[in-house]
Amino acid sequence: MKIGRLLGLALLLPLALALGAPVNAQPVGTLVVGLVAEPVNLDPAQVTDFNSNRVGRRIVEPLITFAEESTKIEPNLAESWTISPDGLQYTFKLRKGVKFHDGTPFNAAAVKFSIERQINAEHPANKIGKYPFANYFFGNVKSIEVMDENTVRFILKEPRASFLVVMAAAAASMVSPTAMMKAGVDFASAPVGTGPFRYAAWTRGQHVTLEKFPDYWKGAPKIDRVIYRPIVEDQARLTELLTGTLDLIVGVPADFVAQLEGHAKVNLLKQVGAHVWYLGINNSKKPFDDKRVRQALNYAVNKEAIVRDVLKGTGAVSRGPVLPGTWGAEPNLPAYPYDPARAKKLLAEAGFPNGFSTSMWVPESGSGMQSPVAMAIVMQSNLRAVGVNVTLQTMEWGAYIAKLRTKEQELFALSWAAGSEDPDMVMYPLFHSSQWTPNGPNRAMYKNEKFDALLTEARHVTDQAKRAALYREAQKILVEDAPWVFVDHEIQIAATSKRVQGFKLHPSFDLRTETVSLR
Amino acid sequence: MGRFLARRLLHLGPVLLGVSVIVFLVLHLAPGDPAEVMLGANANKEDLERLRVQLGLDQPLYVQYFTWIGHVARGDLGRSLWMKRPVLGEVLERFKATLLLTGTALFLSTVGGIALGIASATRANSLLDRLSAVASLFGASMPTFWLGIVLMVVFSLWLGWLPASGMYAPYGGGDLRDLLAHLILPAVTLAAASVTIIARLTRATMLETLGQDYVRTARAKGLGDRPVVWRHALKNALIPIVTVVGVQAGYLLGGAVLTETVFAWPGVGTLVVQGILARDVPLVQGGVLVIALSFVLVNLAVDTLYAWLDPRIKFQ
Repeated sequence: MKIGRLLGLALLLPLALALGAPVNAQPVGTLVVGLVAEPVNLDPAQVTDFNSNRVGRRIVEPLITFAEESTKIEPNLAESWTISPDGLQYTFKLRKGVKFHDGTPFNAAAVKFSIERQINAEHPANKIGKYPFANYFFGNVKSIEVMDENTVRFILKEPRASFLVVMAAAAASMVSPTAMMKAGVDFASAPVGTGPFRYAAWTRGQHVTLEKFPDYWKGAPKIDRVIYRPIVEDQARLTELLTGTLDLIVGVPADFVAQLEGHAKVNLLKQVGAHVWYLGINNSKKPFDDKRVRQALNYAVNKEAIVRDVLKGTGAVSRGPVLPGTWGAEPNLPAYPYDPARAKKLLAEAGFPNGFSTSMWVPESGSGMQSPVAMAIVMQSNLRAVGVNVTLQTMEWGAYIAKLRTKEQELFALSWAAGSEDPDMVMYPLFHSSQWTPNGPNRAMYKNEKFDALLTEARHVTDQAKRAALYREAQKILVEDAPWVFVDHEIQIAATSKRVQGFKLHPSFDLRTETVSLR
Repeated sequence: MGRFLARRLLHLGPVLLGVSVIVFLVLHLAPGDPAEVMLGANANKEDLERLRVQLGLDQPLYVQYFTWIGHVARGDLGRSLWMKRPVLGEVLERFKATLLLTGTALFLSTVGGIALGIASATRANSLLDRLSAVASLFGASMPTFWLGIVLMVVFSLWLGWLPASGMYAPYGGGDLRDLLAHLILPAVTLAAASVTIIARLTRATMLETLGQDYVRTARAKGLGDRPVVWRHALKNALIPIVTVVGVQAGYLLGGAVLTETVFAWPGVGTLVVQGILARDVPLVQGGVLVIALSFVLVNLAVDTLYAWLDPRIKFQ
């Protein structure tokens, strides 16, 4: 049996070798983060997904930023700003002495470059990138003027009170013009900005490594390096955290939350994100053009049960599109409680005492979609209980998004991550009638002239208290009209090893590793 | 032999061309394009149109295809629409990892399967044979991702013997030992289904061969068990086994994607799946071409091996 013995040895040798391999102790100063997916690239103006932004936003940063744990705006690379009385000119005073990672100075010309590369097709850097949200964010920018080295002025086509929030978006981050023109197309893989960390390495499929920028204008981060590892499988991410090879994971699945709560090795963090998950209703299609039918659907769906049993506490029931507790949210928004009897009564009043049949489109997965199919199944059975027979159609995300442009949808599951608490960032695109698909994302085909007028006015006044009053009134109209079934706001869940100190989740879904120190 | 190989290699061109046309069409027939997938739910009309122009999607289909194939002919697989990185480098880098994983799994399943099959055949209906039958049924019916997660929970989470995912430790590691430690769980997971198929087939063909007259003659000459089984019977039983191993090689290459996903193994399978979801045509084309090429080469190797095993088979 010589061959057999030899083979046995050949099989066992690697095992013995491997088992002897010591588990490497984590080096001091290195934070290892488990991401749900690999970043596409690291230039936030050129990506649309959370995971890319979570890494890229460490390298580049915008003029304005959000405060800790909220989306209130704060000065960042801009020290201050003034707005002309007509709301058309925004003049930013830039912070002096800030340098990009390549040593070139950050100045007004760099601001002009960073935004113009996205919107001006003739700009030399336009061809070497692709800018998905150029029009959505900056379509309203008429011109950008360099006033002096440290002053830059944006001139808008129309007033838009949320413009400062736009300037805090990831896509409004500042890049080094010298570095981008030198690197060309490859800039997106290794961008150069002014942020707390600079690009160090990227081994595809394995990890992206950033290292601290010692000359960061706010002071260098306390950790030396952050390693981001893409690990798609939930169990693998969790195992790595529990065995100490990962320090921080986000997107902890609902089923694992109970297991991690009070675990000796990890800290669990939760926070409601600026996000809303909804069941869209095509308001322009019969029978949904009748408000009573839409209200009936809202009464019929048991949102508490979805949040409790499907999402297991990773969602908070929503009453409207705006994040509760923020300046623009109407605090006394009436809710649609779970009330099947009332739903049936409303359907009967609308002429459907025996209900009707319809279809519901649901993506299998998708950014911010939580557990779409499981949630849809609950809604389907809720609706059947009041006589509405729903056929579920599940689709792959890419096919789903394309299908939604046909306007054939009846009921459809979608979510929206505004990234900010400003109501303009969620109410305008999703409900203003100028945003009907395919022009914009108003796929519910909702239109109410009074509502439209309130939203337009709220864009034109810059005083926040006045804007808040307008938005609050608009939300009351919206809830009464019930263009969607309002379902939930996602509660983000992160878990960290005990050695991670000072980490806080952010409602914009950003992952601010620069605040971390390691014990 | 030389002419046979040359002719078979000439077939490669049309096969790969066919594969590229099919992949291209399938990706374009699926609803949704890269611009749409990228912009997702937030899309507005102007941004969609702008992005389509930037990605070259406003060109007619045949123009897009011929532009691409023209570049391929010059050895340039283009750039990924999404990542904007050169496809060739990206795919080859990832393919190395897939090859290592698939190769190891194929080695494990072939060696393990043949050993198990011979053991079962020479001791037919023994306890070992029955256990192996039950294990085979179990192995063949277990989904890869389930087995992978179970192995991960047992060997990483509970016992702490092996790392849970990845190819190298993110720091400190990087040597052969580190690689082997990361390779064991995914390779065993991937090999599980194949090992049982090869074992059952080996058992069946060995039983048949051991019942042949020439085996009886060999025994009558006074040869012991070992030379009879290993020298006389095995080589003759190998032909169907080689066929199945060849098929399994293709299966493992394709099936690696699930294992790669579970264990965050940086292979080409996960890259292609990412590409499909993003409708990233150049990336998917590049990945599929490399996989198709290796599949064709494996088949060629199997055909060549027949002749070595059985002198009665001749190349025409």
